Amino acid sequence: MFPFCFTYANTCRKQTDAHTHTHRARSRVMEAIWLYQFRLIVIGDSTVGKSCLIRRFTEGRFAQVSDPTVGVDFFSRLVEIEPGKRIKLQIWDTAGQERFRSITRAYYRNSVGGLLLFDITNRRSFQNVHDWLEEARSHVQPHSIVFLLVGHKCDLEPQRQVSRQEAEKLAGAYGMRYVETSARDAINVEHAFTELTRDIFALVRSGDITIQEGWEGVKSGFVPNVVHSSEEVTKSDRRCLC
Amino acid sequence: MSDGEDSCTAATEGSTSPPGTPDMSLPVAMDTSTDVAPTRRARRRAESQPEIEETPKQQQQQQQQQEEKGEEPGQASSQSSQSSVAHTGWGYWGSWGKSILSTATATVATVGQGLTQVMEKAETSLGIPSPTELSAQLEEEHRQDVVMDGSNEADTADDLSAVGGAMGMLSSLSSVVQSTGKTVISGGLDALEFIGKKTMDVIAEGDPGFKKTKGLMSRNATLSQVLREAKEREQLQTTESDASEKKTVAHYGVMFDDFQGLSHLEALEILSRESEAKVRSVLTTLSGDELLQLRDELDFIKDSFALVEFDDEDVDEKKDEDGSEFEKEFMEAVEGLSVSATAHKLMTACRSACTNVSITNQRKEEEESERTTHSVEEVHAAAIRSLAELTARSIELFHKVAETTLFSGGCTEASVLSQLTVLLCKELSLLSKRFTSCLTAAGANEKADVLNPLITGVFLEASNSASYIQDAFLLLLPILQISHIKRNAEASQQ
Repeated sequence: MFPFCFTYANTCRKQTDAHTHTHRARSRVMEAIWLYQFRLIVIGDSTVGKSCLIRRFTEGRFAQVSDPTVGVDFFSRLVEIEPGKRIKLQIWDTAGQERFRSITRAYYRNSVGGLLLFDITNRRSFQNVHDWLEEARSHVQPHSIVFLLVGHKCDLEPQRQVSRQEAEKLAGAYGMRYVETSARDAINVEHAFTELTRDIFALVRSGDITIQEGWEGVKSGFVPNVVHSSEEVTKSDRRCLC
Repeated sequence: MSDGEDSCTAATEGSTSPPGTPDMSLPVAMDTSTDVAPTRRARRRAESQPEIEETPKQQQQQQQQQEEKGEEPGQASSQSSQSSVAHTGWGYWGSWGKSILSTATATVATVGQGLTQVMEKAETSLGIPSPTELSAQLEEEHRQDVVMDGSNEADTADDLSAVGGAMGMLSSLSSVVQSTGKTVISGGLDALEFIGKKTMDVIAEGDPGFKKTKGLMSRNATLSQVLREAKEREQLQTTESDASEKKTVAHYGVMFDDFQGLSHLEALEILSRESEAKVRSVLTTLSGDELLQLRDELDFIKDSFALVEFDDEDVDEKKDEDGSEFEKEFMEAVEGLSVSATAHKLMTACRSACTNVSITNQRKEEEESERTTHSVEEVHAAAIRSLAELTARSIELFHKVAETTLFSGGCTEASVLSQLTVLLCKELSLLSKRFTSCLTAAGANEKADVLNPLITGVFLEASNSASYIQDAFLLLLPILQISHIKRNAEASQQ
């Protein structure tokens, strides 16, 4: 069932195996190793800064000007949640504009987690949080999704329209964590993604979230023998098989 | 979709060679290569002083080569036409690529299996001349001219005419040959033509229903799933080989994913499946004339998804070196699609691929003075990376076309998309040719069993890339259909 290109590439490698091994190739390979891949979706009203937050996280820079997202865009990055334990995050950046809603709905299903953004300087975007949550929850069925509520643009303190207390209260009511971030000043960006990843990882470890055939939310990665001794890897592999 | 296809696929799988074959045939390839390399070096050294004793052996080789190509030995006309095929090139390979392309229905999985076997066969058991062997032969032919210019009158008339035929071709080239190493390049191309022809033959043998094999959409496993699994397998193998301190080769699948090609493909599949379901449900609500009319309209859209014949032969390697011509045609094609940002990304990918080619070429020319030449692995990696990036961007483009068509309700012309598909496939084919030329040049001193798999690897990934793009193109059909239905509904409401 596999395209020949890959099988063929392997043949190539076998034939060149005898030749010297370069260090560069090795380090590149090392980077590609992860325990799991989590798919995250980022939602929220348009112009709250979803794409900017993701770009800050994946590319380490802040774009002063950016075009509105059409449909969905993709980003990925590795996160080290504990020394030697890497998780690959595949991030689906959805369009916030209402006119894309019918398309973006289709993309929810295969996500294990999500960041729900609102703009702390835009009260309206905060009021819509409830609708976003409903929308997401109804479209990820039968799977569940772990959300993190993000109050974005916290560098704009003077224009704040949503207090931290009320945001925390809302997050608590829906069983979410709350984090305030700024893509421009790089505040809490790393923290937001890592926290969410840790939460999901804990759920995967405890067996509350399982890897399922035909669901892309959580994927098991490949681990070299040296790291393979870690318990949760072998445990989850076994679970995956049955 | 139907039982007939399933049995056809099963037949293909059944008729492929037993799994033992590849391993058994591997040593054969090694033998040929060890044979070739030393002889070649010996010949190099002899360059200054013509070796007359060697001539009969060369002629024998030539004859063998001719017999392999199924031509009458010793005829001047056939010899020269053969040479011109070799140099203007790509005759066989071109038609192979074309067949694959016009059979857009070829499934990745089934064809893939056939081809793995084909490759092994083509490279080993079929006794294909290796690129190095061929280039050596070309050099031989060239040197023979020199011999002929001397006072070697002892040759038979047959040989005279045979060599004479080749001479016209070669002498016109000889000035270029020595300065840029073109002999080596055309040698590599010969081998590829050969592979292409054999590949086509074996495919036809192994799968009589090849042309009827249905496309991606009728299969249960989606393309992105198949690719993802393959990528995971690659990663596993990469990991394993890393653990055992082995060297790795550029992986198309991993790079394709790095450029988010898999994600765009998956998203496109989601939209395509949803639209397909919507079209079906609309059809069930209609009856009588309304149903017939809509069916006709949908079939019309479907018909326009038939691919334009893609003639690989007019893809000229030398033409459009900086990709500006492709750029112009491409920008014209995407103009009305409102996907300018993605189109720009694709253009950038294409430009960087062209730059990669020229960089590798440049280094090759400097090789004489400095030893800063690129290794074949580096050129191979650059080639695979460029192919993966361009393919990923093409699929991203089709995904964005799907999204804009769905939300704007605009009328996207199938003919424009089909034109775009052909354009992208041509560009991929062109790129793969340029990169393999670089590869052949960079690997002039490599053994055949190192160089050959890399060259064929590039060509196979290019042909795969073309298949992915065509599959992505076909995924757009239900999207255009549902968009058409929506437009109809809006028009009738007004």
